[in-house]
Amino acid sequence: MADRIELPVSAAVAVKRPTRRFAGLGSLWHSFDGKPVARAGLFVFLAIVLAAIFAPVIAPHDPLKQSLGNNFKPPVWNAGSWEYPLGADPLGRDLLSRLIYGAQNSLLVSAGAVIFGGVLGFLIGIISGYFGGWTDTVLMRIGDVQLAFPFVLFAIAILAVSTERTVGRLILVLGISSWIIYARVVRSRVLSERQKDYAWAARALGASRWRVLFRYIVPNVWQPVPLIGMLNLGFFVIVESLLSFLAMGLSPPAPSWGAMLTDGRQYMLIAPWMAIFPGVAIILTVLSINLVADGLAERFDPKLATGHFLRVPLTKKVTLGDWKNDQVILQVRNLTTVFETRAATIRAVTDVSFDLKKGDMFAIVGESGSGKSTLGLSIIQLLDSPGRVLDGEVLFGERDLTRVSNKEMGTIRGAKVGMIFQDPSASLNPVLTVGQQMTETIRRHRSLPPAETMEAARKALATVHIADPDRVLRAYPFQLSGGMAQRVMIALAMSSNPDLLILDEPTSALDVTTQAQLLDELDALRAERQTSMIFITHDIALLGDFADVIMVMYAGRVCEVGPRDRMIAAPLHPYTKALLGAIERRGTGGGRLTSIPGDPPDPTSVAPGCPFADRCPHVMASCRETMPPLVTLEPSHRVACHLVGMEVVA
Amino acid sequence: MSSYVLQRTLQMLVVIFGVVTVTFFAVRLVPGDPARLMEPPGTSEEVLKQTRERLGTDKPLSEQYWSFLKGLPQGDLGTSFRGSQPVADRVLTGLPNTFALGLVSMFFTTVLSFGIGILAALKPNSLFDRISLIFVAIAQSTPSFWLGVILVLVFSIRLRWLPAIDMTSWKSFVLPSLTLTISLMPLLIRAVRQSFMETMGEGFVRAARARGLSEERIVGVHVMKVAAIPLITLVGLQAGYVLGGAVVIESIFNWPGIGNMALLSIQQRDFPMVQGTVLAIAVVFTFINFLVDLTYNALDPRIKF
Repeated sequence: MADRIELPVSAAVAVKRPTRRFAGLGSLWHSFDGKPVARAGLFVFLAIVLAAIFAPVIAPHDPLKQSLGNNFKPPVWNAGSWEYPLGADPLGRDLLSRLIYGAQNSLLVSAGAVIFGGVLGFLIGIISGYFGGWTDTVLMRIGDVQLAFPFVLFAIAILAVSTERTVGRLILVLGISSWIIYARVVRSRVLSERQKDYAWAARALGASRWRVLFRYIVPNVWQPVPLIGMLNLGFFVIVESLLSFLAMGLSPPAPSWGAMLTDGRQYMLIAPWMAIFPGVAIILTVLSINLVADGLAERFDPKLATGHFLRVPLTKKVTLGDWKNDQVILQVRNLTTVFETRAATIRAVTDVSFDLKKGDMFAIVGESGSGKSTLGLSIIQLLDSPGRVLDGEVLFGERDLTRVSNKEMGTIRGAKVGMIFQDPSASLNPVLTVGQQMTETIRRHRSLPPAETMEAARKALATVHIADPDRVLRAYPFQLSGGMAQRVMIALAMSSNPDLLILDEPTSALDVTTQAQLLDELDALRAERQTSMIFITHDIALLGDFADVIMVMYAGRVCEVGPRDRMIAAPLHPYTKALLGAIERRGTGGGRLTSIPGDPPDPTSVAPGCPFADRCPHVMASCRETMPPLVTLEPSHRVACHLVGMEVVA
Repeated sequence: MSSYVLQRTLQMLVVIFGVVTVTFFAVRLVPGDPARLMEPPGTSEEVLKQTRERLGTDKPLSEQYWSFLKGLPQGDLGTSFRGSQPVADRVLTGLPNTFALGLVSMFFTTVLSFGIGILAALKPNSLFDRISLIFVAIAQSTPSFWLGVILVLVFSIRLRWLPAIDMTSWKSFVLPSLTLTISLMPLLIRAVRQSFMETMGEGFVRAARARGLSEERIVGVHVMKVAAIPLITLVGLQAGYVLGGAVVIESIFNWPGIGNMALLSIQQRDFPMVQGTVLAIAVVFTFINFLVDLTYNALDPRIKF
């Protein structure tokens, strides 16, 4: 539809990073740049691993050496001696040395179990996903049964009856308990990779099943395995000490944190510190492992931190502008909206000013990332953090919406100013019926008895030409078509009879026929109720006989604004011309489908000059040096272009 | 609906049967003689033989398994090797104690986790959010059995405020349920926070704000209804875990519940008791999962049977 006009969303550009591969500790360390917590976790974890490996060097004593003269020796800060820094146990064995050797056993068992379980699960996942059929069914059902029961109890049962509990046996039991977690993830990834084009293509070109599997599929499915392994490692450290706490871990006298805790519990009255140390060791180890896992998880799933609604009214005082013309319902003055992230500040809307006359249909046109939606959200004051209005005024009903209190804004939003969004099915709560959502909205703005509220809801649906309001009121949103859902949204917004309705691409998600119908209905509603509307779209072709005023935005700034007929018949800004040219070419069917070569500028850049300069066919030296001011050519037709300034002078 | 229930019931029976069968053979196949454990060391082979006959462990495995299966439909789980009480009776006295502890713990876990998780999600990166995340990170790394021991050390031994073991009065509930609550909360807080934060970013929340609905209504109804659905699974898993007997915690506090019985009978190689307790745990666990699925389907109109 819009051909090349849909371009990358501005915010995504700022966070785009080169993808790195998993290539060892160094890259792991670097990938935690800007994540001090994950890095601290990695540091502590490595320290514990090193201590475990070099236990014979570090530990001051043999962990098994008994020294009966030193039994129950207290720690050094509690009248003990430096010979036994943390004191000694009932048999006079050094607690610090036992802790260090305990780390060795704990990590050996846990890491062994992770590797065993991980490899087993990975292989089963690949086989299950790639070969499918009965193999898959049997393997996955076994996994289901295993997951349907707390497996630790099985582990306890098996180990309890084992006469000799070696490291190998513990690894076996714990590893088997965990394969299904890996297998499920790997299997589902194999299933989705198998369906991708490249796998089909490789098969079609004659590659064997095994070649496709190892050359194409395996390299694309293993990535989450280290993360699951890390999470599992922390769990196993706890399980290992739990087992030895229950006297079902490594056979004594092997030093183990859990067994140390059992001793400590027994002598809690006379040597309470004995119970505390092993717990602290476990917490430190597991905590550091979990922090590394969290860091890994963020790397695998680098979701943008979801913004949340946060409105802070502007406080800087301004003298309210000249509010004389009572034909004007909304005056936007020098509005600037920014997104401030740690990496960069993005100016989404810069210095935008315009007037909206009562009852007008005011269209804002621009590509994705031009700031038009942000402008709409700035007017109704619904920006999510980190976005915020930096400066400017939004004068509406003799109030400045950027400066009214949150409480007052709450009485304006929905009642006087409404907004409708692009995807109607996402705008309705999926688990509430349309009726529930309509009546709650009506009740919010008018106090009516229940029966009349329902009647008002029916009437509201009737205004948007819904033939069978009762059925729609009972329906859940997923039971409605897109067009029907958007009608419901319009009915909801209009039910409070707002003075201003902002429509953000309200028809873009709909098919062409529904789109045309809906536009007609909106136009009729506006004429009937005298509701002023701001219509945001990327498609200037929609506006031919629909808008009163058209404002073209590019890179957060106004390029040109004027009455619809002038804008279409005699556009002045090269960008407006390009947008219109794109429809003409599209209409005649000739020429290329792509309309405007090039990309919008990086929204984080602060280069001077006109943002369109790089794509402009008429670019001049001055365009790259100074931003052209918005010049008023005639009352209500304004353009920001050096070219136009020259023509006027000439 | 009824066909769904029937299908799920069959599935549950299969799972329970599988668990019981595996347990039956697992405890028997590993070397170790219950008779030898029961009699004092140095007992003559003659006496041991008599004991084995009494316990029935001298018979072939298939025969033992068959007589175990035959008893199941009548609720006959055999007789404990220790004492002569029927296993079913002992399991039935243990279950209510386990349920009481489990319900108290789940109540506090759910209420506190939802409260903390929602408050944290409403103001991400606020001081409260940060403190709650630190709590989550530390509590998640703390082994519950160690926590139980330390709580006893502080509140029973040092301060002498609360009983350390057994179930005598309401005070007995404090330490075990506190231990369980602290060890269950981190996962749930994380999940609640995550689910609410994701839901708060949904289009319908912004649309509800654009319609002028109050924040209370948006969070309390719109977000709550959507965000809570995926959390039911986790709450159900945790409930299945504690109502089926939090083995270790029950053991530390010597709680007369099913989990403690399971552990003791494993240690004593009391085969009929192991089977009985594991069966009870499996039944509770799978039944709660079944309830979770039913609730899930009832709450989400998009899912139909």
